[in-house]
Amino acid sequence: MDVKLTINNTPITATPGQTILEVARQNGITIPTLCYHKDLSPVGSCRLCVVEVEKWRGQSAACTTPISEGMVVHTESPAIIQSRRLVLELLLQNYYDAGYAMGDRPQDNEFIHWVEHYRVTAPRQAQPRFAVNSDPNPVVWVDFNKCILCTRCVRACAEVQGRFVWGVAERGHQAQIVAGAGVPMLEARCESCGACVAYCPTGALDNRMSVGLGAADRKVLTTCTYCGVGCQLDLNVKDDVPGGRVFRVTSNPNAPVNGMHLCVKGRYGYDFIHHPDRVLRPRVRRYLLQGLPRPEHDRGEWVEVDWDTALGIAAEKLRQTREQHGPDSIGVLTSAKCLNEENYLMNKFARQVIGTNSIDHCARL
Amino acid sequence: MSNSMDDVANHAQALLIIGSNTTEQHPVFGSMLRQAVLRRGAKLVVADPRRIDITEFATLHLRHQPGTDVALINGLMHIIVQNGWEDKQFIAERTEGFEDFQQVIQEYDPERVSEITGVPVDDLVKAAEILSLNKPMAVMWAMGITQHIVGVRNVMDLANLQMLLGNMGVLGGGVNPLRGQNNVQGACDMGGLPNVYPGYQAVTSAEARQKFEAAWGVPLSDQIGLTVTEMIPAAGEGKVKALYILGEDPVMSDPDTNHIRHCLETCEFIVLQELFPSETSVYADVLLPGVSFAEKSGSFTNTERRVQIVRQAIQPLGEARPDWQITAELARRILQAGPRQAQDAPYASWDYTSTAEIMQEIAALTPIYAGVSHARLEAGERLQWPVKDGRHPGTPILHVGQFSRGKGRFMPIEHVPPAELPDDEYPMLLSTGRVLYHWHGGQMTRRAQGLLAIYSESLIELNPEDAQRLGLNGNRRVRVTSRRGSIVAQAWITDRVPPGMVYANFHFPESPANELTLAALDPVAKIPEYKVCAVKVESAT
Amino acid sequence: MTNRKIKYRPENKAIAEVASKHGSRPESVLEVLREVQETHGGLTQELIGDVSRALRIPEERAYGIATFYTMLSLRQDPPAKTDRRSIRVCDGPVCWLKGAPLLHQLIESQLGDHWRIERNSCLGLCDRAPAALVGDQQAGPLTAEKIGQIPHGFRGAPTDYSNPLPGELRVMMAQAGKIDPDSLSSAQAHDAYRGLEKCLRSTPEATLAVVEASGLTGRGGAGFPVGRKWRFVAQANNTPKYIICNADESEPLIFKDRVLIDTNPHQILEGMVIAGYATGAHEAFIYIRGEYEHQAQRLENAIHQAEQANYLGENILGSGFSFHIHVHRGAGAYICGEETALIESLEGKRGEPRFRPPYPPTYGYLGKPTLVNNVESYAAVPSILRNGSDWYRSLSSAPTPGTKIYMILGHVCRPGLFEAPFGITLRQAIDQFGGGMLPGSNFHFALTGGAAGTIVPESLLDIPIDYASASKGVALGAGAFLVCDQSVSPVAFLRELLHFFQVESCGKCTPCRLGTFDSLEILQRLAQRQGAPGDLERLHLLSEVMKQASFCGLGQSVATPVQSALTHFAADFKGAIQTPNSSEML
Repeated sequence: MDVKLTINNTPITATPGQTILEVARQNGITIPTLCYHKDLSPVGSCRLCVVEVEKWRGQSAACTTPISEGMVVHTESPAIIQSRRLVLELLLQNYYDAGYAMGDRPQDNEFIHWVEHYRVTAPRQAQPRFAVNSDPNPVVWVDFNKCILCTRCVRACAEVQGRFVWGVAERGHQAQIVAGAGVPMLEARCESCGACVAYCPTGALDNRMSVGLGAADRKVLTTCTYCGVGCQLDLNVKDDVPGGRVFRVTSNPNAPVNGMHLCVKGRYGYDFIHHPDRVLRPRVRRYLLQGLPRPEHDRGEWVEVDWDTALGIAAEKLRQTREQHGPDSIGVLTSAKCLNEENYLMNKFARQVIGTNSIDHCARL
Repeated sequence: MSNSMDDVANHAQALLIIGSNTTEQHPVFGSMLRQAVLRRGAKLVVADPRRIDITEFATLHLRHQPGTDVALINGLMHIIVQNGWEDKQFIAERTEGFEDFQQVIQEYDPERVSEITGVPVDDLVKAAEILSLNKPMAVMWAMGITQHIVGVRNVMDLANLQMLLGNMGVLGGGVNPLRGQNNVQGACDMGGLPNVYPGYQAVTSAEARQKFEAAWGVPLSDQIGLTVTEMIPAAGEGKVKALYILGEDPVMSDPDTNHIRHCLETCEFIVLQELFPSETSVYADVLLPGVSFAEKSGSFTNTERRVQIVRQAIQPLGEARPDWQITAELARRILQAGPRQAQDAPYASWDYTSTAEIMQEIAALTPIYAGVSHARLEAGERLQWPVKDGRHPGTPILHVGQFSRGKGRFMPIEHVPPAELPDDEYPMLLSTGRVLYHWHGGQMTRRAQGLLAIYSESLIELNPEDAQRLGLNGNRRVRVTSRRGSIVAQAWITDRVPPGMVYANFHFPESPANELTLAALDPVAKIPEYKVCAVKVESAT
Repeated sequence: MTNRKIKYRPENKAIAEVASKHGSRPESVLEVLREVQETHGGLTQELIGDVSRALRIPEERAYGIATFYTMLSLRQDPPAKTDRRSIRVCDGPVCWLKGAPLLHQLIESQLGDHWRIERNSCLGLCDRAPAALVGDQQAGPLTAEKIGQIPHGFRGAPTDYSNPLPGELRVMMAQAGKIDPDSLSSAQAHDAYRGLEKCLRSTPEATLAVVEASGLTGRGGAGFPVGRKWRFVAQANNTPKYIICNADESEPLIFKDRVLIDTNPHQILEGMVIAGYATGAHEAFIYIRGEYEHQAQRLENAIHQAEQANYLGENILGSGFSFHIHVHRGAGAYICGEETALIESLEGKRGEPRFRPPYPPTYGYLGKPTLVNNVESYAAVPSILRNGSDWYRSLSSAPTPGTKIYMILGHVCRPGLFEAPFGITLRQAIDQFGGGMLPGSNFHFALTGGAAGTIVPESLLDIPIDYASASKGVALGAGAFLVCDQSVSPVAFLRELLHFFQVESCGKCTPCRLGTFDSLEILQRLAQRQGAPGDLERLHLLSEVMKQASFCGLGQSVATPVQSALTHFAADFKGAIQTPNSSEML
């Protein structure tokens, strides 16, 4: 039960129930979109994806129009281009960019991408309508001057996170996105997962901690370090310091468990990595260097040493303990935060090297 | 988990969440479950003393008394059998021990269960009906079930429920413990336990022991080792003289902090491998700088047994080294010095050049990981163990057609009250756990500025009625005292907790909840009863 | 979740009570908010929070609704118990013609200390222009002299339609003046529910067949065959099914539904029950605009009476067929006249249109098959069932069968409403039914259909008007004709229309949200004769893209008046462009 239709004079066979947009994308035909996102319910409101269907009155939104047998679709006719350009122009003349985040999202600003694609310029300069930084949320940056009212944030909050923080208030030209009953996000029960940021196509919602820090030199897809769900995420890395630094986390739509979704810790809990408290050199207690017995109560002060010294002391003390008190006098605590490979080695360490089965970790805690 | 998260989210017709604050502790899975309710109309029953967030999505919230899970589950099963809602075919074909089991649950009539649990009889009946008539039904739990002196009984009773309803080995069903830490599943799988080698091969099994002796080239102990909750007290008694600790913070995370501090102080020698100086590093003798997940490559195994790749994004900071390299170096040095030495054996050595190489060794020795390799993971394969060989696609659902032991055994389980219940002196009940914005001992999240800005200090959840009774006016500081210790923290007035109960977290060293908790352990799993102890609460102005 | 910004707030008992009165259903949020506003003298963020908790809906949803509908207003301070009552002065185009802007100023200056004076989009009181809503009471015509009497109860008088004009053919209006609209027995004495009795004796299929054969077309403006719509709903497999009567009459120039309700409410109820019987629906809603409180109460009274007499309720007249009608008040939003926006509003959401397909007959209220017809369409049904489809088709020789209610307004001697067959001309409407142009007035142009209708020059006065005549430049729409004389500038007039569309755009789609705003800006310049070069081209472009690419009929139809005005009155518009002044030229 295939459906046959024509898009831009090319005959296409498709599956019933698909939209024009889905069929077009499957067949390599680009139709611009803003309010559409494959993870979210379609609303058809931005009207950027309008196409012409022969014999139909008016233009149709490709994202919400189901295909039908014999349909003849044109996606790039002059009238369509005219509509898209005007839609972008109207949005652009209300899109006030204060310039603080230049370069943050070279590929990710879908709105500017289409503005440039259709070579649209605003007939008049956009004026700020809101405070540039209007919500005190510590991790989400809010600048509704860049909002095009696509409502992806509203739907992401409802349909991905299930929290219903964002909504639309007022109407017509006054319509705007609000949190709860027009209150700051946290008061509107926001969990700060940043799903709204991940789905925002314009930068109106952004990751506060990395606004203005520019684009990543590299993005590395890896697995989150917090809970057992096993979300994957992109660590955004800048190589402006030796070895690189992680300065932002973004969603990766190909993440197998979580898709675009992350929680507040996964998306915003990354900066411990570079925290100044990090121990960066091995340390041993002074008594060990001096070959003295351990002080009675306080173990005494730390001394930074090289690896050879630290490892030498640790290995020798453990070895001596085993020799003097037997293997079961040593306990090994491995870590549920560490790699499988590391846990395997800890298990091998306890059993092979020390000869004890006293190995455990915090699974019970 | 016997099943997968997407499988539960997409196929379960009913969900039972018991002892899991899913939306805060497994937030992304929690939001998948919310969507299952919103989009598919899945029926959700939440059993939790607290009005946790997911209860907003629940068809029914059973607010049972902490520590009465077995009574509750038995009560539900009583009603199920009474109404003939059990899966008779499943019971007949795939289980054993039903008769003995049935005799026990017979005693848990709704009136008695209602008395023990505080759940109205009507709600018990409604819950039993929802859970049995909407199939498949999946059970999810976490520490709310296990952190009790009856943790193992609780788990076995949930397995009873799922066998009774025939929800094992099917899409959208199963018994699904949600593992807390990112790689707690992997740590268990890799033999980070005192009783098993990697892949749950028992240390008491001669066959397993011989296999590892042959692989590693040394004689191995046949004695089950100590659990963490035994090991540290043993250090306090002088039985354990030295500890090698990798990335753990027992002072923050273990019960009865004061006692833990004493034990660590007593311990002669402690090597700690960590990112940060911690509450525990105070007691360490050697502190070795390990690295974060961003600085090394390897794999984690998530709660649904899915092995996933971890990719190095940046070079180790300063002189810090990937933890596997540190452990290997220590091992080499100790073996070299002898006298315990490894004979020539296939996996005796410690000369690893990458974690991919370690995974090859794991695969060779661990049947459930036999088909896991970094190459397959890099290629994007979805590998949930058991992965029996290099071509095996993994096992998204366990127990299909057969249990690993053959027939599923019904275990008759009786309700046992918690070790410490409120009395005149300590009239309130304390439960502890985590909050959305922080992680465990807080070593990482207290150093993440955004998370700290949202949740900057410990909050004790206190019911408005209690707040009024205590004369608290709005947000005020309270002192919470148990037989073991006392902490001061800000109260958060909320009806999330019922009157008579407070809830505290253990993320902040300023108000460490584990000063209060009780080191009463489950006799089998040695897990502490974090979810129930008796305290008194006073205003602390 | 636990963040300390979330403050514990105990349940608000008073609001929980209001909610439970409305069944504590999320769908009732609009009614609950209205009632809370009434009892608390206004809405605050906290009250909105309490309402959302009582109904178990997200706060953003309640807030989105509270700020969407103009009859709900948000206040920063906790409102006082005895808040000032409001006077809402109509700023629709008819009232504008009749001097409403000046009247608004006068009311503000004379009564503003003790009353809250607000503007309101067309109140549907066009035959009483200039009009206002005093509290929830309809008032008009108002004059400068009478303002002082408003606080003492002056409301003006409704137009009397008891006597047909020469040339009228009354079917739906046949009983106007003959019956007491608030008395069932009076209506029964004049055929009320005879059509229903007759169809209950036959089958739903036979009933459907009669309606199909009659050729009745939807009277909301689109002219879709009513029988065919009913058939779609009857054929839908999904249950339950719903019947909706669209009484959201918010289009400027249109007030016929109000008159139909005021003259014969039972006729409408009867039409709805018949629709339910034919389609297999058992529950119905009358979605009536919030400004029609008087009419809403009249309908509720009629429903109560009909229930007592078992024309409504369970097992109607022993037939085994049960049917219930609820009155649902809107709260000030033109867009809710669009059927999918109406359904959204009825579900307790912002009145934003849905994309189609799926259409309401398959996916309507709560996702169930739903029939939406206009008041006038239901009003036509009972007589068809009583007298048969042949009789209905014999009423006129026009291609569209039956009669239509028309409204003639503006600079004519006798503004008001009349019923006649299809195919009359604008000249007929003015001369025969409007009593001719006012003394001293000459025809300049007319707006036909409604606010989204055509602007018609003198040359088109003799085109016979029906649903097809829009292509010739004269739209029938909902049947209104607003006649303007030489004193009215088409530029300023068009500005008034765009003002309406801009205020009433729901904001969902880009072309309408921003296009109406930009068009209005241009027209404001033009009306001041300060147009810039390119303004006319841009105005045309905006209207064209709105027409082609807007989400719903609201945006799509803005082009109709804009483009007809630009076509027929090009000189007036060109004259509004400011030419470079002479000094610059030197």
